[in-house]
Amino acid sequence: MSVRLLETILLMTLVTYGSRVLPFLLFKGKNVQGFARDFIELVPIALLAALVIPDLMIQGDTIAIIHNPFLWAGVLTFLFARLVPNLFLGIIFGMSVFWGLDKFLK
Amino acid sequence: MNQRVSREVKKGFAFGLRQSLTIAIGYAPVAVTFGILATQFGLTFWEAGLMSFLVYAGAAQFIAIAMLHQGATVGMVGLTTLILNSRHLLMSMSVVPNFPNRTLPWSLGLAQGLTDETFVLNTRVLKDVDGESNRRRVMLGINLGAFVSWFVFTILGGVIGKWLPVQFSGFQFALLALFIILTISSLSKKNLMTYLLAALLAIVFKLLIPGKVYLLLSVTLAAGIGAWWRRRELPLQNEQQKGQMPKL
Repeated sequence: MSVRLLETILLMTLVTYGSRVLPFLLFKGKNVQGFARDFIELVPIALLAALVIPDLMIQGDTIAIIHNPFLWAGVLTFLFARLVPNLFLGIIFGMSVFWGLDKFLK
Repeated sequence: MNQRVSREVKKGFAFGLRQSLTIAIGYAPVAVTFGILATQFGLTFWEAGLMSFLVYAGAAQFIAIAMLHQGATVGMVGLTTLILNSRHLLMSMSVVPNFPNRTLPWSLGLAQGLTDETFVLNTRVLKDVDGESNRRRVMLGINLGAFVSWFVFTILGGVIGKWLPVQFSGFQFALLALFIILTISSLSKKNLMTYLLAALLAIVFKLLIPGKVYLLLSVTLAAGIGAWWRRRELPLQNEQQKGQMPKL
């Protein structure tokens, strides 16, 4: 195994386990409130937007709409996931649609 | 300390393990997909397995292998993982009051298995279990069942990916599909504005700034503005709900 991969895994373990265990070690049962709580609550949804939307819309270094299989596969997967709330089926659907569009649009 | 055992059925480790079955079944296809993708991105099946064993965080693992494949630095992957997984702080804080007399080994052990899915199940199940020591065992069972499934099915996926090297362009889209499904299940009226703001900021920053910095910038800004907006919008309800909320 490469050193880079091992370092990555250990660093990921540290930050992930850290955020799981800290409250167990430090908290007596009080919850965070106010701005901090809202902020932590909103981080995951903001991250999902930042991870998904640019990858769907930007190809190379410009916004691509028409000949962009990522965008259309993304739109269809959004619609599918709304109708069928199943993780496994959603992933299969997304991959298949992308595969089809990738062939069709190129 | 209340060590009384519930009179009806004793709820302990085995009970927790049975409860974990739904999660274990749900994890299986995702873990298999992760294992296959990891081998496609150049990891061996045991490296994928090690990552599932130690990190044990679905979305972060998918991002990590994709980022590593694209040549991201260790620090960048670590930072992205931190942003993504800081949400465990909240879940952990919300579970902790179930265990006021926990010992250090129990703290270290129970924290290991906390994921979005086990958190939801534990929250639902633990409130009907009497006695802290029983609650500990139930949570251990729930956590362990889910964890073992994630680990074993990652290995299985890795082996499948190794022995059947599938050429399928759809794998490029697996991670985005996963995120889109997660988005649909967590998007609500309360966070839609933050989502749209983050999307807009991320596009702009990605076009302007090279590298992955756009992730941190857009997430921090959007969540910050979103949280500030909520405080502004609902000061009355919040104070009524929470009693003595500290002044901001």
